[in-house]
Amino acid sequence: MTNVIIKNLMKKYGKTVALMDVSLEIKEGEFFILLGPSGCGKTTTLMCIAGLIKPNKGEVRLGGTVLSSSESGEFTRPQNRDAAMVFQDYAIYPHMTVYNNIAFPLQIRGMNKSKVESKVRDVSQRLGISNLLDRKPKQLSGGQRQRVALARAMVRDPKIFLMDEPLSNLDAKLRVYARAELKKLHEDMGTTIVYVTHDQMEAMSLGDRIAILNDGVLEQVGTPEEIYENPKNLFVAGFIGNPPINLIEGTLIERNGKIIVEFGFSSYELSNGIEIMKKTKTPEIMLGIRPENITITKESRENAIQAEVEVIEPLGRENIFHLRVNDKPLIAVSITNRDLNVGEKVWISFDTNRIHIFDKISQKKIN
Amino acid sequence: MKTNKIGSKKKRLPNPKRVFLYFLLILFVFLTLLPLWSAVMTALKTQEALIYSNPIQPPIKPSLDAFGTAFNELRRPILNSLMFTILATLLSCVLGSMTGYALTKVKFRGANTIFLFIIIGIFIPYQAVLIPLVQIIIELGLWGEISGLILTHTAYGIPICTLLFKSFYDSIPDSLINAAKIDGAGIGNTYLHVVLPLSVTPFVVTAVFQFTQIWNDLLFGLVLTGAGVSQPASVALLNLQGGFVTAWNVQMAGTLWYTIPSLIVYLVLGKYLIKGFMTGAIKG
Repeated sequence: MTNVIIKNLMKKYGKTVALMDVSLEIKEGEFFILLGPSGCGKTTTLMCIAGLIKPNKGEVRLGGTVLSSSESGEFTRPQNRDAAMVFQDYAIYPHMTVYNNIAFPLQIRGMNKSKVESKVRDVSQRLGISNLLDRKPKQLSGGQRQRVALARAMVRDPKIFLMDEPLSNLDAKLRVYARAELKKLHEDMGTTIVYVTHDQMEAMSLGDRIAILNDGVLEQVGTPEEIYENPKNLFVAGFIGNPPINLIEGTLIERNGKIIVEFGFSSYELSNGIEIMKKTKTPEIMLGIRPENITITKESRENAIQAEVEVIEPLGRENIFHLRVNDKPLIAVSITNRDLNVGEKVWISFDTNRIHIFDKISQKKIN
Repeated sequence: MKTNKIGSKKKRLPNPKRVFLYFLLILFVFLTLLPLWSAVMTALKTQEALIYSNPIQPPIKPSLDAFGTAFNELRRPILNSLMFTILATLLSCVLGSMTGYALTKVKFRGANTIFLFIIIGIFIPYQAVLIPLVQIIIELGLWGEISGLILTHTAYGIPICTLLFKSFYDSIPDSLINAAKIDGAGIGNTYLHVVLPLSVTPFVVTAVFQFTQIWNDLLFGLVLTGAGVSQPASVALLNLQGGFVTAWNVQMAGTLWYTIPSLIVYLVLGKYLIKGFMTGAIKG
């Protein structure tokens, strides 16, 4: 079993807390993403698994063996952990040829020459860099360097791969290509990968599961679908999705035996309002609705709110509509509604099953 | 159009400002080279010719006698100097590089305090520690020995070498060191396989600096070896002066012999001073 178990991990730098009581389990063979804005603690978590950082508290286990534990004081040095890492800046040794770069982890472990050679040839063939083995890093393009870094990690057949934003230095076109390639590579190898990124697109497309971190706190762990469809709190809801989710302040009130959200300028009837009302203590809520779950119509419908079209972004496959509802901005995405014009008055209604209600104070999701 | 341009170039009179500038520059070159000229001219004269001519005049009958006399006097001291200068330069560079690496890339508590103490070492004038230094060297039984000079110059070289290497190692990205750790290298292997091969440039810079520094030293040589067989070239050069008469031609010839090793170091290593080896280390 090469799963990773992290228990109550904490790391402080002076007074700033980089990680606060983070616990998670990464399953064997999983492509696991650590996602969050910069400074959220995702790289710190990765470094703790690698052993490059010693946590103040907590435990890290790899495949059943304890790598570091604040309780027992155990700490395995990074060179003795069976984890390979790909760095954001690739960190290829500039004075060595590509061959020596890839061979370095094997040579340092004292593997015999012929075995090293066959392994290096093997992995470089797999990544399509066999023709670059004699070159020095400065003669390589960004994409080639990235492959060399990947080859150096793969050549060891480690228990686990740790990747720190390995695609962020590639240009946009290459990144999409490399992303697909990385996913295919993972499917072939089946090795556990822990992957750090701030790019939600990368996270959604690569990850089997995603952990979202914010300010050193683990906000949510789940599959990309779970996180998108069912965000646990306002932060996750706001962080995932592009264009971002619409959040509207409102108050829950009861009218004629039905629960409605009162926005002040308008109101919206909730189909499952009774349940929500039961779960919440305060009536102040935030209603979240993703841009693609908004239906725009030219005529008024039941339970619809009036809005004005402000800007239309035609993206070809779909249109992004920037609407204004009583001076508040709202974004809708639709593949229909091609006949709308800027300045037009329209009616919007929400997909009832896709409405997210958050407690305004605790920021947690209620429904 | 083209012919016009060339024509105008030909006709153009020199800019008076430029003429003045060149005049100044030539004057400065002349002033700078005058002592060297004077030294070479004096060294080529015989003892008698010194009396009839001023130091700038070339000799009527050039003679290499002074070079021969000076060489006989300085041969042993120059060999002494070469030996301890090269050894002390190498030792202080290697130790400075290791210290610089440890202080920047092996993160340990108290590294900054240690660095501060090392840096203070640069600012202590030699004269202030001369008496205890001589006492220690005598106590160690190294007075009058070349090894005493090697030890002293190495010890005094470590602070500046550490400073030079540390500022270079600060520019090596931490990810490179982390990569080596992950790849399985410990502190020693990381230094040997990653840090050291990247240090060619700072090694050359520091070595040239240290070589000149140690080669030109007079004070330590004077107080640690006296006029014995281990005396350095700088001390021997001073002793060439003699008690009553100064043989200027021999003195100047000796000075010229004395500058040759430093000159060679600059000529050989000069091109490395400009080269950079770190290109392509990180993202591009």
